[in-house]
Amino acid sequence: MSMSKSRVESRESRAGRRALFCLLPSAFCLLFIGCGVRSDMQDQPRYDAYEKSEFFSDNRASRNIPEGTVARGHLKENKALHTGKIDNPNANLQVETATDATGNTLVSSFPNDIDEFPVPVTMELVNRGQDRYNIYCIVCHGPVGNGDGMIVRRGFPQPPTYHDDRLRNAPVGHFFDVMTNGWGKMNSYADKLSAVDRWAVVAYIRTLQISQNPSGTTAMNANTAANTMPPVGTSNSNTSGGAR
Amino acid sequence: MVMAAILAGTAFFVYTQVARSSYLTGRYLERQQPVQFSHKHHAGDDGIDCRYCHSTVETTASAGMPSTQTCMNCHSQIWADSPYLEPVRESFRENKPIEWERVHDLPEYAYFNHSIHVAKGVGCSTCHGQIDNMPAVYQENTLQMEWCLACHREPEKFIRPKTEIYNMQWQDGDLNAEERKVLYDNYKIRQAEILTSCSTCHR
Ligand code: HEC
Ligand code: HEC
Ligand code: HEC
Ligand code: HEC
Ligand code: HEC
Ligand code: HEC
Repeated sequence: MSMSKSRVESRESRAGRRALFCLLPSAFCLLFIGCGVRSDMQDQPRYDAYEKSEFFSDNRASRNIPEGTVARGHLKENKALHTGKIDNPNANLQVETATDATGNTLVSSFPNDIDEFPVPVTMELVNRGQDRYNIYCIVCHGPVGNGDGMIVRRGFPQPPTYHDDRLRNAPVGHFFDVMTNGWGKMNSYADKLSAVDRWAVVAYIRTLQISQNPSGTTAMNANTAANTMPPVGTSNSNTSGGAR
Repeated sequence: MVMAAILAGTAFFVYTQVARSSYLTGRYLERQQPVQFSHKHHAGDDGIDCRYCHSTVETTASAGMPSTQTCMNCHSQIWADSPYLEPVRESFRENKPIEWERVHDLPEYAYFNHSIHVAKGVGCSTCHGQIDNMPAVYQENTLQMEWCLACHREPEKFIRPKTEIYNMQWQDGDLNAEERKVLYDNYKIRQAEILTSCSTCHR
């Protein structure tokens, strides 16, 4: 009799101990997770995007490619496509600039800029341009390009409107140049927009100009002959961000 | 015996609750950042699109973090003397990155990719909550496996039109079940068996 009782007891206590034993590892895990100890599986010996590295003096694990490096297939052979310019046919023609009352840089002669799109202008291109414009440009230039975006209302210097004769008559290469190299108080957007995306934005700006001045003479100058359009939106990789 | 079972049960319950708690998942925790950057100001009040700063979210695994140059696009002209922006100017002068504290951080044995989610109609706010209301970003969801799986089992409940991906006000109820089913078919989302198989996220 006492035997069986004690067996029950011992089974009970064994169960108790087993429960305790099961709890131990969890308690152990809790302790470590709680202490913020992360095992090798969680922090593997590799770098994630933007991870901090003690190895490099600027702490960036994501390295910029050395200057002058050209990745295979990324040689910018097509000058018109990548710069919006051609070699100046008349070396005597110079870019004429002036600074207006608000400090904006005005230019009225564009001897190097191309006036024909180096990519075919399609509905997709214009739509892509609208999409990109609404991300990167609308904050300053406003929804239709009057220069009344939210950031301007918060105090950023006002950009010129797209809807005056100077910019209506400016060649498409000029708009491309502004985005590629920046313009006065406006920084370059080449790190965020691939060359084709920049042409898409130019196409959309032209569409805006026509929409605000339907009876005017602004023409798309669409080069429908160019059929060598590279895939849209391939190279907006941004390796120059922070280390974290 | 019964006592032990209750004890173990309670312990297990406590364990799962603790494991899901904000203490262990880092949920709702705000981090001290080197710059007091506010999404409420920039994304909410000023209406700057997420992609202006997180410009690789459509194309790569990482959403991308803005370069110092990106901040300077505006702050070279406005609030250019603000003491709050000194770390940004210093980073720009010395060509040293700003070291932001990570808010979301999956363990590295789990694979996550932003571009597929954005391309298949999962909006930022579904996973990150209303970022445009957050002066400091915090983690809205647990980011635990069960959370990923809850959606991968029935993604048709959480998807939206592509035009609404960056809309922080979107609610899942804005479309009814049939409309979402149409989207689900259009996006050609694969079956739950594939999306919940281990090698989708552990590769
Ligand atoms: C942070 C505000 C800001 C953003 C964002 C911005 N711009 Fe500008 N932009 C300006 C300002 C300011 C000027 C006038 C600069 C000057 O003349 O010094 C300007 C000028 C221009 C001009 C006129 C150049 C001329 O000949 O007068 C064009 C074209 C232009 N921007 C296009 C764009 C496009 C395209 C984008 C989007 C990719 C963009 N901008 C984004 C502020 C901005
Ligand atoms: C003006 C630039 C800017 C804009 C616009 C912006 N962000 Fe951010 N975002 C940042 C910076 C800088 C950080 C890092 C500092 C921080 O965590 O607050 C960040 C951090 C984040 C994080 C946390 C990252 C981590 O460490 O885990 C998320 C999530 C995020 N942003 C989502 C969004 C969403 C969604 C939008 C659009 C509604 C948006 N951001 C718009 C600059 C921006
Ligand atoms: C497109 C323009 C734009 C960009 C890009 C931008 N900001 Fe701002 N920032 C603003 C505006 C406008 C304000 C004023 C906020 C308000 O009152 O709505 C501001 C305010 C701030 C303030 C508060 C300054 C003060 O004195 O109160 C900080 C800090 C700040 N920004 C940091 C950043 C950082 C860091 C980045 C880069 C990740 C950045 N900003 C990128 C437009 C911008
Ligand atoms: C399906 C859920 C999901 C969606 C949708 C989503 N994110 Fe994330 N996001 C995450 C997860 C998970 C992480 C943490 C990734 C890691 O630690 O590797 C993260 C991290 C981030 C980060 C930190 C940098 C990085 O990539 O690790 C930023 C910034 C961010 N998200 C912004 C956005 C923006 C902007 C959108 C909308 C376009 C978005 N996210 C949509 C789940 C999501
Ligand atoms: C709100 C819904 C939702 C959440 C939450 C979510 N996902 Fe997804 N995920 C999707 C959808 C939709 C797809 C696209 C499936 C397809 O294309 O068939 C996807 C695809 C993926 C893919 C790509 C699969 C492949 O084979 O290419 C990975 C990896 C992934 N998710 C990981 C994660 C991880 C890790 C988490 C949690 C941190 C997560 N997801 C959270 C909806 C979600
Ligand atoms: C939708 C993506 C996804 C799928 C599918 C998935 N996992 Fe996970 N898994 C995760 C994420 C994210 C984590 C990290 C969770 C965390 O940080 O707590 C994780 C964590 C884990 C862990 C570690 C848990 C811990 O607490 O340390 C194990 C083990 C695991 N997964 C096994 C599996 C197995 C087995 C399968 C297949 C049946 C699977 N996973 C399928 C996303 C996934």
